[in-house]
Formats: sequence, structure tokens, C-alpha cells
Amino acid sequence: MLRFKSSIVAALLSCGLSQLYAQPEGLNLKVFGYFQVSFGYRKELGQAIQEKSFSLQQLNLFLQKDLAPNWTAFVNFEFVNSYSSFRNWGAQKLEEAWVSYRRGEQFKLKLGLQVPAFNNLNEIKNKTPLLPYIIRPLAYESSFNEIIALEEFTPTQAFAQAHGFIPAGKLKFDYAVFAGNSPNINNDPRRGQTGVDTTKFFLAGGRFGIRTRNLKLGISSTFEQVDFYHVATFLRYDPSQFDNVPRLRLGGDFSLMAGKWHWESEYIRVTYDDDHPVLNFDKEFYYGTLGHEWSERLFFYTGYWVTRENALPVRDMDLLALTAGAAYNLNETISAKAQYGRVLFETSAPVAMEGKSNYYFAAISVVF
Amino acid sequence: MMLKRIIKPTIFFLFVYMRMAFAQVAVIAHKAVPEDTLSQARLLDFYSGEIKSWRNKVPVVVFDLKPANEIRELFYQLLGKTPSRMKSIWLKKLLLGEGDPPAALESEEEVLKKVAATRGAIGFVGKAKVGGEVKIIVVIAKKDK
Repeated sequence: MLRFKSSIVAALLSCGLSQLYAQPEGLNLKVFGYFQVSFGYRKELGQAIQEKSFSLQQLNLFLQKDLAPNWTAFVNFEFVNSYSSFRNWGAQKLEEAWVSYRRGEQFKLKLGLQVPAFNNLNEIKNKTPLLPYIIRPLAYESSFNEIIALEEFTPTQAFAQAHGFIPAGKLKFDYAVFAGNSPNINNDPRRGQTGVDTTKFFLAGGRFGIRTRNLKLGISSTFEQVDFYHVATFLRYDPSQFDNVPRLRLGGDFSLMAGKWHWESEYIRVTYDDDHPVLNFDKEFYYGTLGHEWSERLFFYTGYWVTRENALPVRDMDLLALTAGAAYNLNETISAKAQYGRVLFETSAPVAMEGKSNYYFAAISVVF
Repeated sequence: MMLKRIIKPTIFFLFVYMRMAFAQVAVIAHKAVPEDTLSQARLLDFYSGEIKSWRNKVPVVVFDLKPANEIRELFYQLLGKTPSRMKSIWLKKLLLGEGDPPAALESEEEVLKKVAATRGAIGFVGKAKVGGEVKIIVVIAKKDK
């Protein structure tokens, strides 16, 4: 009798558990991702400096699940530059973790860690299978992080974004408005919990654009306040003068498709309202890339990319890149890429300097 | 002799009619979808994942054809996008977490069966294959050179 009762209890429990964990049809967890492996060679002209290296440039792993009709969860893990914790190479991070609600094409709400919409490239800058480049336009190229203040040019994170498009005949009006942390995230355990915004102000921004079948253009902006304590300390100024300095980013993007020709361009201007007669941290970036779809599988492009960075009175730097490359789709999931870049840099502070380098890259991009 | 006069033109007429039918692509939908016709722009919105539901809020289920044949080529011409461009659009949707590419089916017969059985479904097949099990919402005729 006891054995019979135990069997009944076990059967009832297993039914209950299977109902709890049963996945409705069409709501399964999806696991997918991509990686890009590259070989690069850099030669500094007029110098003996040269570097050559293979690299697992990027690997992204996605988890996605439709939680309910109109609700989707999405997680994105990112590993860059041959990540190895053992060798202290590269980096890994949680790039995205959000839930999205969709109420038609006119309104979608995304809550959680995400990459906000800014200009044309910001949301997809790390989605290497979508880009023909191996090295991306300068303000979007994470491997230049030690040369260019990337996080000053574009917003890298947001935590809430409302977006969608409003159709009007042959036009679509895109909009996106988002909010996130200011950049003054605490990285010093001595000042309390790390990863927490220590300012009183958040990042706010958005993009508004117009699309037709072959044309896309938009304007983007963000506003936040940053502190310049590190600058004040370095220059021996009173830090309280550099608390909550307003930073404004303005961007514009224009893309056009005419037959098999593609044109993409962007402009970004970053200004700081610091009211200080000596400091100038303003920055500017623009690029234009012309591409041609030679065939269904082969795409060529050439581009002109410029960054102008001020960090005066400490330094300023201009980078100019002329680039050309190609991407060939071996099949639906594998692409081969090649790229050449001629990069010139000029500084006038602290000392006047200039240099030129040639870059040669080859890469394989795989979606799985 | 009389029979030859009837048979030859009849065979010729049937041949011409069948060629005309094979040169036409029908965009089909489940019989319960609320729209009887679609503009090119709206069709592209469905196939690029921009719009995910019909006007009655029923989700759109989009089917593609896997084999690269005349039917698929004509359909993409109607959309005004090359297959590689459509693949880029779908890949972007996938990597942004905004949706999946349309399911690519092996044959037109399979497309017909799936569309007939799936509420909110839309697909495309050669017009000659369409019976009464689905609704035709667009017919594309191949332009002779």
C-alpha cells in the first residue's frame, strides 16, 4: 500500500514538474552567434616598426527566447581580441541583456542593458557579419580603444529605449529615445560599489530619421554630464570646477543605395561646456564609404575616415584613414574579408608629430 | 484531316497558355487573412520583418522558397531587392534580436500546404499550382524581353 501511494505521489509530482517546465511550441530558447578571425599586418612608414598577428577579433554568443506574444528576451556575451583570462589578453563582457515589448511597428520598448540607437552604425558596430569591414570606421573600432577615446564619441550603453517607425506613404519616420547611466561609473572599490553611476545625472538621447526604399538619413543626439576630476588633478586645477560638465553629442547619418552602389556616411561632434578658457575637449568624427555589389557574393568598398580629438592643453590628435576592401560570401554563413588602410596621424600638442602606417588585414567571419 | 485542323491549334493554344501560366507567380495567403490584396511596399515590410501582424493583430507567418528558381527570382524582383540584400536585412534582424528570417521551404507544394494550414501565413508559388485552398493576393507576371 505504501509503495502504491508513493508511486501515485511520484507520478503526480512529475506531471506537475513537466507542466512547470514544458515549453510551449514556438517559445524555445535559441542559441546562436558569430566570430571573426583575422590576420593583420601594420607597417609604420619611415620607421622600423611593424607588427603582424592573428587574432580572434571578436566572438559573440546570443541567447534569445520569445517569452510570450510580443515579449522577447535577448542576451549577448562578447569576447574580443583573443580573449584569455589565463594570459590576460583581450576582454569579455556582457554586451546586452534586455527584454523587449512590441506593440506594433510604431512602438517597441526595450528594457535592460543594450546598445542605443545613434547614427547608422552604433547599434551594429559590433555585429561583424553585418559589416564588410575588418577594421571599422575609426570611432567605432574597438581595437583602437587605446588610441582614440571611443566612449566619448558614441554612447555605448543604455538601459531603456523606446523606438519604432511611423509609416507615411512611401516614407518611414524612425524614432528612438533612450536613457542610461552617465559615464562616471565608479571603477574604484575604495569609493564604494563598482559599476555604479556616481553622478546625479543620466544619459539621455535619441535618433530621428527618415527612410525610403533606397535612402536613409537621420540626426542623433545625447546629453549627459561628466566629471573631469582626473583632468583637474593632472593639471592641478580645483576639482570642484569640473564637476558635472555638460557633454553634448550631435550626429548625422546619410545612406543611399542606387542600383548596385551603396553610400554610407556619418558625422559626429562632441562638445563640452566647461566654461574654462584653457581646456578644450571637443571632438569630431566623420566618414564616408562607397561600396559596390559586384555580384550576389562579392562586395567592394572604399572609404575616407577622419577623427579630430582635442584634449587641450594636454594633447590634440587628428587621424585620417583611407581604406579599401572587399567581402566575399562563401556561403550563407561564412564570409571572407580583406582590407587595406593607410592611416595618418598628426598632433600639435604636446609636441608636433606626424606618422603614417599601412595596415593589411584578412579575416573570416562565421555565423553559427 | 478535320481532326488535324482541330488538334494542332488546340495543342498550340494549350502550350501558349501553359507557358503564360508558368511565367506567373502568385503571392498566396491563408484564407482567413483580412486583406485581399497587398501593395509592393507592404509585402516588402512583411518579408523584411518590419511589420509582424495583419490589421486584425494576427501574427504574419512568412514563408520563402529555398531553391533558387524562376519563381523565387520573379518574387524578389517584385520586392525590389536582391537575394543578398534580403539576406542582409534578415541577418540584421536576427543579430539585433528583432526576429528570424522567413522559413525557407523545399518546394512550392510544401509552401502551399503550409500556407493553407497556418493562420496568418503568406508565401509565393507558381500561379498554375494554386488551387482553392489558399487566397491569391498578388499575381506577378514575367515581362518578356
